[in-house]
Amino acid sequence: MYERHILICAGTGCISSGTREVKEALENELIKHNLQDKVRIILSGCHGFCEKGPIFIVYPEDIFYCEVKAEDMPELVEEYLVKGNIVERLLYKDPTTAGTVTSHEEIPFYSRQKRQVLRNCGVIDPENIDEYIIRGGYIGLKKALGMEPLEIVNTVKSSGLRGRGGAGFPTGMKWEFAHRSPGDKKYVVCNADEGDPGAFMDRSVLEGDPHAVLEGLIIAGRAIGSDEAYIYVRAEYPLAVRRLRTAIAQAEEYGLIGQNILNSGANFKINIKEGAGAFVCGEETALLASIEGERGMPRPRPPFPAVKGLWGKPTCINNVETLANVPLILRNGADWYSAVGTEGSKGTKIFALTGKVNNTGLCEVPMGISLREIVFDIGGGIRGGKKYKAVQIGGPSGGCIPESLLDLPVDFDSLTAAGAMMGSGGMVVMDEDTCMVDLARYFLSFTQRESCGKCTPCREGTKRMLEILERITRGKGEPEDIPRLEKLAVAVKDSSLCGLGQTAPNPVLTTLRYFRDEYEAHIFDRRCPAGLCRDLLTYYIDAEVCTGCRSCVKACPAEAISGEKKEPHAIDEAKCISCGACFDRCKFGAVKTK
Amino acid sequence: MQPVTITLNGREVSGHPEMTILELARESGITIPTICNEPHLTSIGSCRLCLVENEQNGALLASCVTPIVPGMVINTESPRVMEHRRMIVKLMLASHPDSCLVCDKGNRCQLHQIASDLGIGLLELQRIPQTAAIEEVNPFIERDMSKCILCAKCVRACQELVVEGALDYFQRGFIARPATLNNSPLENSECTFCGVCVALCPTGSLMEKKRVYQGTTKNLVNTTCPYCGCGCSISLEVKDNYIVAARPGKVDTENEGTLCVKGSYGFDFIHSPDRLKKPLVKVNGAFQETSWEKALEETAEALNLIKEQYGPDSLAVLGAVKCTNEENYLLQKFARTVLGTNNIDNSSRLYNPATRLGLGTSIGFPGTTNCLEALEQSEVIVAIGTDPAASAPRVNYAIKRAVKLRGAKLILIDPRRTKLSSFAHLWLRPKVGTDLVLLNSMSRLIIDESLLDKEFVTRKTDNFDALPGALEKYSLEYAETLTGIKKEEIHSAARLYALADQAAIIYGTGITQHPGGTASVKALFNLALLTGNIWRNGGGIYALQRDNNGQGACDMGALPDFLPGYQSTEDLQAKKKFEEHWGVSLPANPGLTALEIMEQIKAGKIKGLYIVGENPVLSFPRSDFVTEALSSLDFLAVQDLFLTETARLAGVVLPAASFAEKEGTFTNFEGKTGRIRKAVAPAGECLPDWEIILRLANKMERPLPFSTIQQVMEEIEELVPLYEGYLDSEGKYQNEWGFWKRRSHRWHSLKGFPRFSTAEYTPPEKKINEDYPLTLLTEAVLYHFGTGTRSSRAWRLQQFSPRIFIRINEADAKKLGLSPLDKVRIISPVAELTAAVSITGALPEGIASLPASFPEAPATRLFDINLDTETKTPSLKACNVRIERIDDHE
Repeated sequence: MYERHILICAGTGCISSGTREVKEALENELIKHNLQDKVRIILSGCHGFCEKGPIFIVYPEDIFYCEVKAEDMPELVEEYLVKGNIVERLLYKDPTTAGTVTSHEEIPFYSRQKRQVLRNCGVIDPENIDEYIIRGGYIGLKKALGMEPLEIVNTVKSSGLRGRGGAGFPTGMKWEFAHRSPGDKKYVVCNADEGDPGAFMDRSVLEGDPHAVLEGLIIAGRAIGSDEAYIYVRAEYPLAVRRLRTAIAQAEEYGLIGQNILNSGANFKINIKEGAGAFVCGEETALLASIEGERGMPRPRPPFPAVKGLWGKPTCINNVETLANVPLILRNGADWYSAVGTEGSKGTKIFALTGKVNNTGLCEVPMGISLREIVFDIGGGIRGGKKYKAVQIGGPSGGCIPESLLDLPVDFDSLTAAGAMMGSGGMVVMDEDTCMVDLARYFLSFTQRESCGKCTPCREGTKRMLEILERITRGKGEPEDIPRLEKLAVAVKDSSLCGLGQTAPNPVLTTLRYFRDEYEAHIFDRRCPAGLCRDLLTYYIDAEVCTGCRSCVKACPAEAISGEKKEPHAIDEAKCISCGACFDRCKFGAVKTK
Repeated sequence: MQPVTITLNGREVSGHPEMTILELARESGITIPTICNEPHLTSIGSCRLCLVENEQNGALLASCVTPIVPGMVINTESPRVMEHRRMIVKLMLASHPDSCLVCDKGNRCQLHQIASDLGIGLLELQRIPQTAAIEEVNPFIERDMSKCILCAKCVRACQELVVEGALDYFQRGFIARPATLNNSPLENSECTFCGVCVALCPTGSLMEKKRVYQGTTKNLVNTTCPYCGCGCSISLEVKDNYIVAARPGKVDTENEGTLCVKGSYGFDFIHSPDRLKKPLVKVNGAFQETSWEKALEETAEALNLIKEQYGPDSLAVLGAVKCTNEENYLLQKFARTVLGTNNIDNSSRLYNPATRLGLGTSIGFPGTTNCLEALEQSEVIVAIGTDPAASAPRVNYAIKRAVKLRGAKLILIDPRRTKLSSFAHLWLRPKVGTDLVLLNSMSRLIIDESLLDKEFVTRKTDNFDALPGALEKYSLEYAETLTGIKKEEIHSAARLYALADQAAIIYGTGITQHPGGTASVKALFNLALLTGNIWRNGGGIYALQRDNNGQGACDMGALPDFLPGYQSTEDLQAKKKFEEHWGVSLPANPGLTALEIMEQIKAGKIKGLYIVGENPVLSFPRSDFVTEALSSLDFLAVQDLFLTETARLAGVVLPAASFAEKEGTFTNFEGKTGRIRKAVAPAGECLPDWEIILRLANKMERPLPFSTIQQVMEEIEELVPLYEGYLDSEGKYQNEWGFWKRRSHRWHSLKGFPRFSTAEYTPPEKKINEDYPLTLLTEAVLYHFGTGTRSSRAWRLQQFSPRIFIRINEADAKKLGLSPLDKVRIISPVAELTAAVSITGALPEGIASLPASFPEAPATRLFDINLDTETKTPSLKACNVRIERIDDHE
């Protein structure tokens, strides 16, 4: 019998922070102390607190160590596992109270969350189906197999679940369309082509709890009358792909997939299709084209996939997180599920919190929680005590939410009303040092590159918008650029073929809506309020600090700096081209910007 | 179905369900600009110019892909729509180069047109034109991707119409472009230069290259392609009496907007400097130009003299698979009534009689039993003895469309790997000359396993009882031994064909030019009849014709044994009908076939010959023999566009007008007639063939009672039941109704039901001579045609495919120590040729192949005269040769 279980996070984030090395060192130490039969090491899925990885939890005491290194293992084993002394220095330190906490439940990052979908992530071994089953896995499926397909559809409908992939379409309604579509062959497809920069919710679910997704898929198949599913997952997620394959093999072995599942007479097959990294393949019709072996390009809708989808057959496409919600609904009932959330948005939502916050990572919160709670309580506030500026929700297709809207309840409808969107759940927090024009430029350069090129507004329009934004950030903006940008943005949004183009202008439109003054400062005052756009900075030398070393004089390509050796130098603003070479070269911080 | 009513720009209009908003708008007379929409391509809704506003919810919809829904309220010109539409065009213009003034597309540019229609003047957007290198290595198509607006018509045309798959999207975002695999030049891709993409390109991005005559014109003449038997509809762009360009005919015509490289770029020969301009007479062994008057006088005198001295059967006429139906009708009438002989034949004798006899005896009409559109409904298609990618491109497109877009299964029977092989569900590679064994064994298996359509066979066919016995010996084991195909494969092919609800058969010269071709055609027909696949929509037999009017020449009775419309010369009733109408008595003696005519010339029995548009020196086997025969004639008149190898032997050469310089009709392999129209005036003093024939008859003082082509057409309609009403649809292609009407004539001409005929395999008599170890197959090439007289003068075709290659298998090449491009001597028992070597994996060991269309090395020369006993067709498909390398110092 094991006396202790040690969970080491093996999500992609923690693996890159050194999980494998930690595990190896731990194993060696355990052997040294002859503990290998008493302590079981489990590589778990993502705990969400990637900022502090690798995460290392010891059960049954529930001691939460973080940022552990391989070098820490001798001490940790010796002190804690052998002697029972908690290693203080590896505990989590609350940045607000500066005290340490031992259990993860006491950490605000976790205590404010409502981990329903992520309930197993970081808790179970994702490569062991038994652990999933012990925690209630596949009960939902068992129930579903005893129900009429339409009953399942209605349960999901009344739960109020809406698609977590971005648009928030009611899942039950989507299932109903596919269910009612005539056809002897139908498909269910899991969209795991998570491509937003900074978003990793789906990856964490796939890596940490793959069976939840499989269970959701099988239930969806049962509901719409399909016997075959595809999981379209990015090839850039090798760990997720591997865990999915393992999970499928185990589920097949247990008779949960395959012929006559659980003696219900129903058959179900799950295929994995690895995507090649095109952002647009997250769009459902492009995704289907890609599965069919065609170039991933969107097709016009109608016909909707529910009528004519994969290989022309009725197809139901759901996102990973949506599917991971399904087993819970079936297991606990629609009422249980809809008890959480707001009027129009039920349940929880997972966000990938990144940017300038103290606690970056993955968090699951009830719908309707305020943005302030997410950023300041879960996220632990802005890093370095700087001022909050905005949060970009929904990735490159979303919009930014300014400080004035921090108390906005986070749900589908209020975010859309604010010009942003739930998107897949990326949440990038920005502080006062972020230039909002540059931010819009960044996101647009992403969508521009990822536009498939099929329809004119998206292909040409995003390029022209990007050019205007680049012009503005270089200090070459013209007064007409703002109306021009707005006109282009509306044209692209209104007339593009697919969701990529229809949402690509959102970052531009929201920054124009909430931070128009920044654009105007760039154009009219030739000034970047955040001090980020290099071309708009004025450099000067602080005579107090300058040592007269002449290295900036040598670095200046425009011969704009003059001054004798060991005398303070000066920059001739007329000659300066704002390249920043002097700023980079100065070792004494004497070159400053205004 | 209930019509759907919507409100369109404030007016209620109705359309049928599944109609798009765009279609309904067009029907209602409302113009919505589009660029990416093309009726015969899948709509992709990519240019977004056709946006309309749904006034109920403010949604902007791409009207080309949005179906109408009852109660919709659509505004096609709301301020929002117009603003966005203008913005989209501005976006296109912003990345388009400024070169409109020097762009060859000129006023035909759709982008230009739409911009001007929308009143777009100055652009407020910064213009940053795309740059791109102009690709122009190949002689046909120039690609300037800087002008591309990504409507993707070229991509769709390539994938959906001609199914070559040479083009697809490449790259993403702003730099996305249509491109070939790995963005390689067209000539290194799957591209066949069919030119369909060029015809569809809305801007100057894809342009025809190196036209001989420049200029843009809106003067289009709709006519019919004069190359292969597909008979595609083409439009000639005419300016200042020059053919500037050719493009696919109207979309509603047979070829659905497709052509092949010859149809798009093969017409330079019309204005070739080599064209004959004046009649020529030979004086002391040298040609001299002369007047029509004198040339015709000399011809008339010579023919009359021979007729008087030796009798009418000492004269013969050859012609004319490239001439119109009307001209063929006149020619046979000339032979029978002016000269008074049945000695008339045409060069479809070289490939077609097996069909005529094989199908004629079985179903009563010698030709294709179905139309090409129906092929796309077939579940299973058997293609045997044909490489339509080279010989009948439109058939090739149809097969590929059926397979790729409609899921048909192709059974390809060909020892060579052809472009169709990758589309084949089953690819059987029989040993050369054993097709009949394979087909008979398939029939036997169908009977043995009771896969036949019993009801059909019992109620609607004749002579079934003879079949099982005759097939007795064709067991799978026997077939495997002879054909070299595994019996399991034969078994699956037979089952696949028999179990399909609709299955079609296509065959070409690989069947008909073999000795015993007639028997193979009968065996094919037996297969179709056993399975009831003769009347069905997606069934039938497609007999490919090599020449544009091979079918018509025979239909018109340019045959020794048939009067027009396959009314036998021995059918006294028919004969009487013609005699009464023509007011003459028709010759009683049976006529001679083409090769028999040559033999009889050699034997001194035939003294005078009149050749219209044929070149037997190149197209017949044993050219030495043919040359000798023609040289020994008392008188030879040749009527042609060029001074061909045959014309050089003539005493009088009569310059004829090309297809673009006259009126008439061609009949394609399906039996559909296509109108040809005069686009330019004849070169020099050339005259249309029909006019020359009439003038010659006048000179011989036996005038034919016609003065216009219209009168000839009327007589054909009257006397040839098959062609009754053939000009119904104003000379356009026959509409469906007309086609089936003509088809029904064919059935009626058979007395009783279609008959099974037994077809016995006779093994080749001669053992393979060890001196000639290789089997040489003749084959068609896409870039040339016939004997090459015209295609070698279409300089772009000639530049792209300038020389002849013999293709041989890797193992054979190794054995003979050959490397690619080596010059070799190809030696048959009767002649030798030289060609360069191309080494290929497409041919089985022991087999080489040589294209037939290079005048400098006519493959037919290698063949001895070896006539099929039934049809008198010379074998021109396979012969035995050896190959020797020619060393450089030789």
